[in-house]
Amino acid sequence: MNNEERLKQMTRQQHQHEYVCRGVFERKGALSYIGHLDLKAVFERALRRAELPLLYTQGFNPRPMLVFALPLGVGLDTEGDYFDVSMEVPVEPEEYIRRINEELPDGLRVLSAVSIDEPKNSLMSVVTCASYRIEAPGITDAVLKVFGQESVETMKKSKGREIKVDIRPLLIKPLTSSAPDAAEYMCYAGSQQNLRPDVLLKALCETQGYDEKAALDARITRLALYGGTYPDLTSIEGLL
Amino acid sequence: MSKKHTEVKVPHSVLMSVESPGRYVGGEKNQIVKPITEGMVRTVFCFPDIYEIGMSNLALQILYKVLNGPEWSSCERAFSPWPDMDAKLRENNIPLYSLETKSPLNEFDVAAFSLGYEMCFTNVLQMLDLGGIPLLSKDRSEEDPIVVAGGPVTCNIEPMADFFDAVFIGEGEEVDLEFTAVIKKYKDEGKKDRKALLKELAKIEGVYVPSLYTPKFEGRRFAGFDMEEGAPASVKKRIIKDLDSVDYPTRPVVPNNNVIHDRAYLELFRGCIRGCRFCQAGFLYRPVREKSAKTLCEQGIAIMKNTGYDDLGMLSLSTSDYTGLPELTDGLLEDFKPKHQSLSLPSLRIDNFALELMEKASQTRKSGLTFAPEAGTQRLRDVINKGINEEDIMSALKLAFAGGWSTVKLYFMLGLPTETMEDVEGIADLAIKIEKLYFDTMRELGGKSRKPEITVSTSMFIPKPFTPFQWEEQNTREEFLEKQSHLRALLKKHRNIRYIWHDVETSCFEGILARGDRRLCPVILDGYKEGNIFAAWDQFYKDENWQAILARYDLKWEDFTKGWSTEDALPWDVIDVGVTKAFLKRERAKAYAETITENCRSKCAGCGAACYKAGICYE
Ligand code: SF4
Ligand code: SF4
Repeated sequence: MNNEERLKQMTRQQHQHEYVCRGVFERKGALSYIGHLDLKAVFERALRRAELPLLYTQGFNPRPMLVFALPLGVGLDTEGDYFDVSMEVPVEPEEYIRRINEELPDGLRVLSAVSIDEPKNSLMSVVTCASYRIEAPGITDAVLKVFGQESVETMKKSKGREIKVDIRPLLIKPLTSSAPDAAEYMCYAGSQQNLRPDVLLKALCETQGYDEKAALDARITRLALYGGTYPDLTSIEGLL
Repeated sequence: MSKKHTEVKVPHSVLMSVESPGRYVGGEKNQIVKPITEGMVRTVFCFPDIYEIGMSNLALQILYKVLNGPEWSSCERAFSPWPDMDAKLRENNIPLYSLETKSPLNEFDVAAFSLGYEMCFTNVLQMLDLGGIPLLSKDRSEEDPIVVAGGPVTCNIEPMADFFDAVFIGEGEEVDLEFTAVIKKYKDEGKKDRKALLKELAKIEGVYVPSLYTPKFEGRRFAGFDMEEGAPASVKKRIIKDLDSVDYPTRPVVPNNNVIHDRAYLELFRGCIRGCRFCQAGFLYRPVREKSAKTLCEQGIAIMKNTGYDDLGMLSLSTSDYTGLPELTDGLLEDFKPKHQSLSLPSLRIDNFALELMEKASQTRKSGLTFAPEAGTQRLRDVINKGINEEDIMSALKLAFAGGWSTVKLYFMLGLPTETMEDVEGIADLAIKIEKLYFDTMRELGGKSRKPEITVSTSMFIPKPFTPFQWEEQNTREEFLEKQSHLRALLKKHRNIRYIWHDVETSCFEGILARGDRRLCPVILDGYKEGNIFAAWDQFYKDENWQAILARYDLKWEDFTKGWSTEDALPWDVIDVGVTKAFLKRERAKAYAETITENCRSKCAGCGAACYKAGICYE
């Protein structure tokens, strides 16, 4: 459980029925340059403007109950991230998509949605894998080389200390849709084990001599999130 | 005038290597992006501080809406880049650009700066420089934008006079479009005579064109202006007579980035009925003009709907003085409660009504109470005309303590005219009495053990233009420091009282800018060239550097802080804010006689602002 979910659990009134709208959204352009908390606030304000029957957390500072599947780092685009919004009464997915899209700023758009009556699993806990695309000159060669190695060691900050980690076990497979300047791959993601694309890029510079300037300019897109256990992956919508 | 249009492309790598890149990309809800057309007058509203501060600025939201009104006018936004982005822009030769169409600043017809405080002066130069606009007004050509400024600081713009082509005095809603209309006509007629244009602009009421005035000096003293033919002898402040009649931005731009205060704002009224003698805003914004509770209620509800914020901040110089407050707050809260929205009520005078209101208005925990007695003794409070006495504070606090409040913040000023060490000690006495009152009240109620949190905060008194103290000598650094350390010593033993103080050096610098004249223009220019930006942020303020630059131009702090006799010419004499010099002199005499002047609502003091035939003077 992440903080948002913990807060939701703690402040929900007992016996309060929740109807969840689970949406898939894309993010690009200006909106990609804000951090996770700012993104959450942008969604919150859009939900309020859309005048949806939101369920609020209890306590001193009531907030709409809004949970994201996986935080989106600053600079990351996405073509398919998930978020859950709790409602007091059921809302039809089409109606939900129409109303929220009218209020989201350019660059954010809900692509599809399902409504779920009382979800059993927390959204964050069902995510296990993700696929990404990194666009940068000659990136695919470097990524494929990494896949050919047994281990890929890099330094990672953890609790204020630099520790050595092997990221190779976190990589699953390169995707066949890759082009020379656009590498697509699948890796582990979620609260159990997670490979951030910027960590992979850093490792590419360190171990493959990939150009640091080009790495800084690389555009990264999260393509999709999955649940289940690799290779038996399932879509997040289905995991109620 | 500019014709071309380039779209600045900032590389992803640049945005990824600076803090909070969301500041530099625009794309917010309710931003207005107008297609650029030939013949359109394009204004870029420049805020010489970071995005997060600028986006909480009401003037920006108001004028953004006004200037985007007519089809032939557009307004975009630009902010000061933080030092990390400043360095990246220079390193990559990227010009500073507007957030809407990403146009370099020098492609606009007008670059309009909002000046809220003096310490942002070098950031104006930063923005001009990065935007590709010559820094000095005299170096600008036909191709360059007309560089203007508005905001309270323009009542003495002399230290920045060399950099602005024109400034607005007073409120901008009407004058801005009159100004751009003159530029529109000039463009349409295909004229190319910047000097003639500036003279034309100077004919608009409320527009001051500094280059038409040349200051004279006698020795180290300012001695008035030589004026060019056609330059008005006096430039009169503009005001909006009826605030209900002007458009309010009920669809403000909603930042995506974490701004300082994450809320929408509703302006209740302009001006202040109280004439605290140190307070520039109190005199500058006269007369008081209120908006009706009905208008405000409608606007407040609309803003919340259009922004999605969950908190609405009431904005004015003194919330409690708004006559429609009960009606307004009831109306808004009725609508807000079911939607989980709250009201923020700053600068409330604490009494029974206020405490109840605070309880009702916000769902958040009991926040702290704020008092601004400004001076520690009744004698000195009478000098500054602060209509607040010890009994009022004590009885209000007793109520508050009994109601469960335990956090109190007290604001004072050091260095007020006629202040003695006894007055400084009065500050400590008052704080200690409040601490005792807390424990006494708790004991009466049958002992809760929680500790009170009392904060004493002191700032430095800086004499400002258009106040009865405009002629006063400012305390020296040594005097300020001595008072600070004395107070610190007196409060040291009191564990429930925290003492915080403003930085003396930056305040003294603000003091020379506030009453400075054109001799400071080259000082500010050098200061900028030597890397001084964000001077309001203590960590960037380099005192030794500024001292050295002043010495380079044979200037001393005292040239601007020593004060004047009431008969001397003042650098801001050309500006007329409605309040007369005769009135300010009377008020000064009353200050020395320790006599109070009643507020506008109980009795008109004949300050001169009645010339506007508006607001409280005519109620
Ligand atoms: S109450 Fe006094 S200090 Fe406050 S705004 Fe009014 S005049 Fe200024
Ligand atoms: S003219 Fe009288 S009522 Fe009007 S602002 Fe001045 S003192 Fe107040």
